[in-house]
Amino acid sequence: MSARTAARRALPVAVAAAAVAALLANVRPRPRPTTPPPPALAAPADTAVVRGVSSRRPRRQGPVRTATGDVAVTPFSYMEVRVTLTGGELTRVETVELSGTGARTQAINARAEPILREEALRAGSADVDVVTGATYTSRSYLQSLQSAIDKARRGG
Amino acid sequence: MGIPVGIDVRDDGVDPAALARAFAHLRWVDATFSPYRADSEVRRLEAGALAPADAHPEVRAVLARCERLRARTRGCFDVRATGALDPSGFVKGWAVEGAAAILAGAGARNLCVHAGGDVRVRGERAPGEPWRVGVQHPTVRDRLAAVLSARDLAVATSGAYERGAHVVDPRTGRPPRGVLSVTVAGPDLGTADAYATAAFAMGLDGPRWTATLGGGYEALTILADGRVLSTRGLAALRAG
Repeated sequence: MSARTAARRALPVAVAAAAVAALLANVRPRPRPTTPPPPALAAPADTAVVRGVSSRRPRRQGPVRTATGDVAVTPFSYMEVRVTLTGGELTRVETVELSGTGARTQAINARAEPILREEALRAGSADVDVVTGATYTSRSYLQSLQSAIDKARRGG
Repeated sequence: MGIPVGIDVRDDGVDPAALARAFAHLRWVDATFSPYRADSEVRRLEAGALAPADAHPEVRAVLARCERLRARTRGCFDVRATGALDPSGFVKGWAVEGAAAILAGAGARNLCVHAGGDVRVRGERAPGEPWRVGVQHPTVRDRLAAVLSARDLAVATSGAYERGAHVVDPRTGRPPRGVLSVTVAGPDLGTADAYATAAFAMGLDGPRWTATLGGGYEALTILADGRVLSTRGLAALRAG
């Protein structure tokens, strides 16, 4: 929004402010069409991630059966344990961590550590009123700014 | 402090004297708190020429607040981070918050006050239009990394491209690595300023800490590798 627009909306107060805004105009980007916002992160498909496997050679032959235990809840995930028995003997254990975006996982994530959204840095420009950034100093800038404020106050 | 200041009030009928009072407040803060002025209370406290009990009540209150912030930020906001007493990382934002309060006390409802990259907005820039606050791109001049849209918000940024005093990680005594800037938005500018300073000082540990701020404070961290990490609530502040 230009300094002139600001001056139209209010009277003496904005005169000083407009002088200030005009002097600061060179640190604001020139208005340009707003760049579109970056796309939201795509939600990952439901996936099961096998965490650990341990197995050993069976001591005897026999029918092989696998079974999956009840889902166990840990602070950060759902976990299942799958076992393989050969001839009645435990020969393989897999822990499977369930992750994804199903309702169960969302409930877990709400209890889990806070999540940060990640995106790529873009260099855009847009119609803005003010810019936040790390401190910059400029003695000559301030001196001319202060004199403009003083002049505006004396004249306004 | 040598920091450019802007005040933009978009109400009719606000007493112009309030603007003068707001600027006078900023000058008083600079004269009282600046570690670069030999006769400021902060310098005299540091030199032992002024007893803490004799300091201005606002100085005592600010230093007490800074001590609470030191605890809240795991020591990463510390007025003694560089050795000498320097509360600038809080005072910058606190000063602007005070100037905005003076204007609001005079009846201003739609205002934008900013100094040295710290911003405080209230109300709207025009009827029906919230204020639009750009986040400076840390490496490309005159470009933005993001735009925030708000009717009542304080925004502060700490970054690697600051000139003047450098932020150091009090845990190492050296500048942090891996992060170009941290922007914190929330209800109070002094607090946002201290949080941004602390989060930046933490380097790559900062983003995870910013996710625990609470109290309505959100953060956006720009990493040196070109990634941007933001807290979950920050998305609601982004301009459409």
